[in-house]
Amino acid sequence: MIDLLTRALMMSTPLLFGSISEVFAERSGMMVIAIEGIFLLGAWGGFVGTYLSGSLLIGVLAAIMAGVVTAAIYGWITVYLKQNQVVTGTAINILAMGVVSFLHRVIFGVPITPLTVQPLQALPIPIISKIPIIGPVIFNQNILTYMMYLIVPISYFILFKTSIGLTIRSAGENPEAVDVAGINVNRIRYSMVLIAGVMGGIAGAFYSIGYLGMFTTNIIGGRGWIAFAICFLGNWNPKGAFIGALVFGLAEAIAIYMQSSGGVLFPNELFIALPYILTIVLTITRKSFNVPAKLGVPYIKES
Amino acid sequence: MTRGVLMNAKFRDLLVTNFLAIVLGLGASALMLLLLDKNPIEAFGILFSSVIRDKYTFADIFVKATPLIFSALAFAFTFKANLYNIGVQGQFYIGALIAAASSLILQGRMPGVLALVIVFVLTILGGGIWGSLIGFVKAKYKANEFLVSMMSTFVALGIMNYLLRTVLMETKHEYPQTNALDTTVWLPTFIQGTRLHIGFILAVVVAISVWILLYKTPLGYRIRVVGYNSDAARMSGINSKRLYVVAFFISGALAAMAGFTEVNGVQHMLLQGFNPDIGAAGLGIAILANANPIGIIFAAILFGALNVGGTIMGQMSGIPSSIIELMQGFVMVFVILSYFVRSELETRRAKRRLFKAVEE
Repeated sequence: MIDLLTRALMMSTPLLFGSISEVFAERSGMMVIAIEGIFLLGAWGGFVGTYLSGSLLIGVLAAIMAGVVTAAIYGWITVYLKQNQVVTGTAINILAMGVVSFLHRVIFGVPITPLTVQPLQALPIPIISKIPIIGPVIFNQNILTYMMYLIVPISYFILFKTSIGLTIRSAGENPEAVDVAGINVNRIRYSMVLIAGVMGGIAGAFYSIGYLGMFTTNIIGGRGWIAFAICFLGNWNPKGAFIGALVFGLAEAIAIYMQSSGGVLFPNELFIALPYILTIVLTITRKSFNVPAKLGVPYIKES
Repeated sequence: MTRGVLMNAKFRDLLVTNFLAIVLGLGASALMLLLLDKNPIEAFGILFSSVIRDKYTFADIFVKATPLIFSALAFAFTFKANLYNIGVQGQFYIGALIAAASSLILQGRMPGVLALVIVFVLTILGGGIWGSLIGFVKAKYKANEFLVSMMSTFVALGIMNYLLRTVLMETKHEYPQTNALDTTVWLPTFIQGTRLHIGFILAVVVAISVWILLYKTPLGYRIRVVGYNSDAARMSGINSKRLYVVAFFISGALAAMAGFTEVNGVQHMLLQGFNPDIGAAGLGIAILANANPIGIIFAAILFGALNVGGTIMGQMSGIPSSIIELMQGFVMVFVILSYFVRSELETRRAKRRLFKAVEE
């Protein structure tokens, strides 16, 4: 049970990173459809950086770089060239798959045994990690999960209690007003996409070097989309995203648990599909969405 | 007269920019080959010469293009109504599943042609119903069709994997695949010595039908009106909710047809996780063709050629098969950039016309 909860919290970490970055971007009017590709590049960059340097820190930095480059291309086409976000994002995702599979082959050839790195280790916090139940679940995690605890309140504060947050939200609700106030709408939106590149890159790295210690091209397998969905389901709010990430992290932990314990009551496939079914059900049943008014609409200045 | 000239200029832009986009996309992939210490000119020489080296290979281009025509039509159809069907891959799997299961049940019990017709109808119905559920929850619960359709693919994949290791599994129970279909329920080939089956002709006929449906019928008109401006559509009395269901039914049915032609025309069985990028490539093709059903035929043939040529290039010169995804991805990105270039050219022309009008 404790093991299951620990794993649930762990699995929700990358989903939270991804969905919070999506909250910021979408509040400013930008859907980051390329999130799946950003995750993939992050996972790959993280693995390559770590493998070649032997340092997890350099791995994470490489993941951030890979994520930002992907996001920069996506943002340039959608923010500045004003092309359709869904279409561009899908193209970037296909390209990301091609680039990663190709470059992986260029760098590593066809290795006989799978390449592995030592993944991030849990850092138990002294004393409080000894508290029954809560201790091992919450305070015996790796550094990225600890960062997750901080990101929720910080991003909530930035988005709703600061003038920067107000500007971001206005860019998605009423970009004309932002423009009249002398602030460059496109620059705000582009920055949010780049931040999504940073956080999505870290999220992707979590899958490769955060716990598996290896990389395969199907390592993300739709988790970017799940993060994207959590942003919707969490009503474009960091608090909602936190709850969503926990729910999906738990669903994923249960799926892993059921697969390894060989449960016969339900077929495996049901558990693998569980997060996706959950998304459909929640999308249908949630009533009060407050979608940013200009979500997905490029800002074209009247001249 | 001027209208004709304008259309021509637009059409010329479309051809030129798309051609440039394809060349640049392939050029970018060629540059990547340098990283592998391969000579890109040689490699692309193989790509182009290999696809026309013999009848079998050349015909294979159209074999590969067949499911792509369907999946691109599936995306394009809802796109015309400003709806996003990102679940084409899942609808394709549902279609393949129904085609395989019903073929296995019907084969030998009736003449092959009759069985094929029934299988085809069942596939369309199954894919259509699966798709229309997306439209239904959009119409009834205002659910976001983008998210629901995207997630439905993973559910379809789960259903397929489950059935392939239980009731549909081949008799030896070794591999997650079905028994091979009887030759009586194979789609017949129409060029001797190739794999080219009549599914390709079906795809072309369906593409033309979709064009007629979209541009020459009241239903198509309503779909496009909803796509242009949903408020205007509502005010003119169009029931957009019913349209969501209908559009997604047709879209799902189109995607499922790809499953039918792949199972009965190419694989002759259902394999776990086969053709995993039909949906995404279909979206790319729809973009390349500007969502025009006739343009989709040609764009799908291009992707088919890249697929066949890329595979041979890999076999002959040790270039990984991911080069295919790389080429398709780069071509798609450059095609999107060409949309931007075209709108710039259009704006410039409009400005020139305006100046001219003012001067006169």
